[in-house]
Amino acid sequence: MSQKRRLNTESAPHIPHTTTVAKVMLTVWLALIPAMIAHVYFFGSGIIIQLTLSIVFALLFEGISLKLLNKPLFLKDYSAFVTGILFALCISPIAPWWISFIGLFFAIVVAKHLFGGLGQNIFNPAMLGFAVVLISFPQAMSSWIPPHSISPYALSFSENLQAIFFNQFPTKVDFDTLTQATPLDLIKTGISQGLSQSEINSSVFFGDFGGLGWEWIANLYFLGGIFLIYKRIITWRVPAAVLLTTIAFSLPFNMADADHYIGSLQHIFSGGLMLGAFFIATDPTTGCSSHKGQLIFGAGVAIMTVLIREFGNFPDGVAFAVLLMNMSAPLIDRLTIPKAFGQS
Amino acid sequence: MVTIQANHLHAFRGGLKLKHHKNESLINGLSRLPVAEKLWISLRINRGNIATPLVKVGDKILKGQRIAKPDTQRGSYIHASTSGTVSAIEQRSTASPDADIALTIEITADGQDQWIELHETQITQDYINNASPEQLITAIHNTGLVGLGGAGFPTHLKYQSKTQIDTLIINGAECEPYISCDEQLMMDYPDDLINGILLMMKASGAKQAIFALEDQVGGIKSGIENKLKARNIDSIVVIKVPTIYPAGGEKQLIKVLTGCEVPSAGLPLDLGIIVQNVATIKAFNDFMSQGKPLVERIITVAGDCVGKSQNFIAAIGTPISHLLKQAQYHTEKTHRIIIGGPMMGYAMPNAEIAIDKTSNCVLALGQENTQHYGPTLPCIRCGECVNVCPAHLLPQQLHWYIKGENLEKAREHHLFDCIECGACAWVCPSQIKLVDYYRYAKSELNYLDYKRKKSDQAQIRHEQREERLLKLKQERMAKRKRTRRRTANPDKIKADLQATMDRINKAKEAKNKDKT
Repeated sequence: MSQKRRLNTESAPHIPHTTTVAKVMLTVWLALIPAMIAHVYFFGSGIIIQLTLSIVFALLFEGISLKLLNKPLFLKDYSAFVTGILFALCISPIAPWWISFIGLFFAIVVAKHLFGGLGQNIFNPAMLGFAVVLISFPQAMSSWIPPHSISPYALSFSENLQAIFFNQFPTKVDFDTLTQATPLDLIKTGISQGLSQSEINSSVFFGDFGGLGWEWIANLYFLGGIFLIYKRIITWRVPAAVLLTTIAFSLPFNMADADHYIGSLQHIFSGGLMLGAFFIATDPTTGCSSHKGQLIFGAGVAIMTVLIREFGNFPDGVAFAVLLMNMSAPLIDRLTIPKAFGQS
Repeated sequence: MVTIQANHLHAFRGGLKLKHHKNESLINGLSRLPVAEKLWISLRINRGNIATPLVKVGDKILKGQRIAKPDTQRGSYIHASTSGTVSAIEQRSTASPDADIALTIEITADGQDQWIELHETQITQDYINNASPEQLITAIHNTGLVGLGGAGFPTHLKYQSKTQIDTLIINGAECEPYISCDEQLMMDYPDDLINGILLMMKASGAKQAIFALEDQVGGIKSGIENKLKARNIDSIVVIKVPTIYPAGGEKQLIKVLTGCEVPSAGLPLDLGIIVQNVATIKAFNDFMSQGKPLVERIITVAGDCVGKSQNFIAAIGTPISHLLKQAQYHTEKTHRIIIGGPMMGYAMPNAEIAIDKTSNCVLALGQENTQHYGPTLPCIRCGECVNVCPAHLLPQQLHWYIKGENLEKAREHHLFDCIECGACAWVCPSQIKLVDYYRYAKSELNYLDYKRKKSDQAQIRHEQREERLLKLKQERMAKRKRTRRRTANPDKIKADLQATMDRINKAKEAKNKDKT
């Protein structure tokens, strides 16, 4: 009988699944595009070079690692691609090329593949790479440039290339006028010089809520995050916990002493908080799995960030906060196992 | 008593919205399948128990004749589904997971399809009022009724419980795509269903019955409601529930209707509820009104490799190949043949396997409809499985622990509350066959528990033996001690010995004296 051939007996579900990891990662990339465009608008073409460099290094290290580990999964999941983009969005547009080389080596090789590769890493790769270069090369990491609208001199694409690859800046402008600390850095130094918050905020480097330009990028991260929630790539829990806890936790400080402590909106719209809330702390691999755990995780990130910004040595603390919470995630998960159906 | 309001339904967490694919088979209506040349009736009843055959090879049998009986009260009877000759009683693959082998009776049909003597009864309100629950429950047992929704739980057991039942829920919510046999049945046999429900209510003592349908079915609700109104029956309420997979799952359906959750590891009985599939109700009515035991059922034949998707009334034991032939199927295109639905059904290695009482659907799917979108990747813990899990579990954590052979951790994460609905595997972007992991872990844990129980018993036996031996030893020691204490004082022994010797000598003297 013709039917005697053995048919496929894989187990249920038998109708195909609709999502793939690659699709998830590419959706994250899509959600970042508006903020990337804003980045270019405010800080110039340097970010395009940084993005290209980071993606190339990320894929290079990913390819080499997978080859050495004998896993034929290169470009099947696009996770390294997203790691590269996230890393590039955290560093200065004029950071030298080896920053992303070293950062992504630690991100992809150490944080990801030495821990077992996709889905096995304890630490968020982009944040680990970022933390390594932030601690090791503070000078290169803190030299940002001011937004174009208030910049005395805007670097062209070729000047950006020269700056990134050869550390050569146009001779007609002074390096110090060309570069500018980040808004959170300005606040930190301002406070240490005895300036009050309102005095700092009235300088040209600040907009309505946060740093000039930075607040618009934050807005677009927010929009991208809403898109991800709509697409069911992330849930509302982590971002909501991060943002609301940031406000709730920073408000008492600011209300008690408005001159020495950063305002809640400043917290949210400056630095990496919005990116962290929607794109970093929501990384499912290194976050919590239970819904309650996700709320605790987000709240933890917010509290650590505020504490580091207010009392720590670094102007921004999102990366360290995320890494610290990454370490606590397994414990939180174990303590927040949800009740199964019928157990309440 | 649980209260149910049609305008105030509850929601269960998780679930999926799936394409229905039901109209493909419904538009072609219901027809009776010609009896196959050979039927294979599996003697497996629930939980791996095998019924004992009551016939021998060569016996002539009639349709409806009892051919096997259960070994315990917890099993159900099996009846011949056509007339003919018993041509073999042997081990065969059955329509179960992995097409497991079980004892099967092969009937070679004589083509007459001749029933045993049938007694028709008019099911009237008076008849129902006068029937006693005990008599009805015995009838349920005699008809060989099992849950026809898929689980195959022997129906009479639900009614034998001591718990007070107040609500009977009629499950007409077929949540899996493609399957339309229940919808077909509800369309074609509303009167039989109403009679069946009234009989079941009498048997259970339930005061109310809820007839639950999915909101995507059209016309059935008003049809049944009109019949109920015409007969002045107000104890049966028809309620539409949202079409979310797996709303047809017993526990999920109860949650939607009542807002109550069946306790973990418990049964609907714990809430005073019995849930019964519509096909089970119809089969019971057929037995009570016409005397026909459960020998046939409505089954959907569908899928993209079938020329004409349709519902058939098919004899239990009909080979899948026979069903597919009637539905004009393309042999070459078929990549998978599935018994049951696409979410929870079992893929069969070939079509020479027979349907059983619980088979509600045969699907023939081509490769392009079953293949994955991408390779299986490691879990990225995206959490979509948590969002869709109707049992409130953390599927990615379960997977993580099972992969690491940390099965006790999986149990801690409530592995045994998993209902294996497959929602997690369906949404998994890494295309991981999650349910396979859970099935493996459950069976492994059950085996380990069994072994542990055995070794615990052995341990207890060993300890009892040690205790016994110790006691014997102690007794021996005590005895020896007593003797030793007696032997400890030499003077006393000497005196005792002397006294004994004196007694003997005295006796001897007396004897000698007597002699002389």
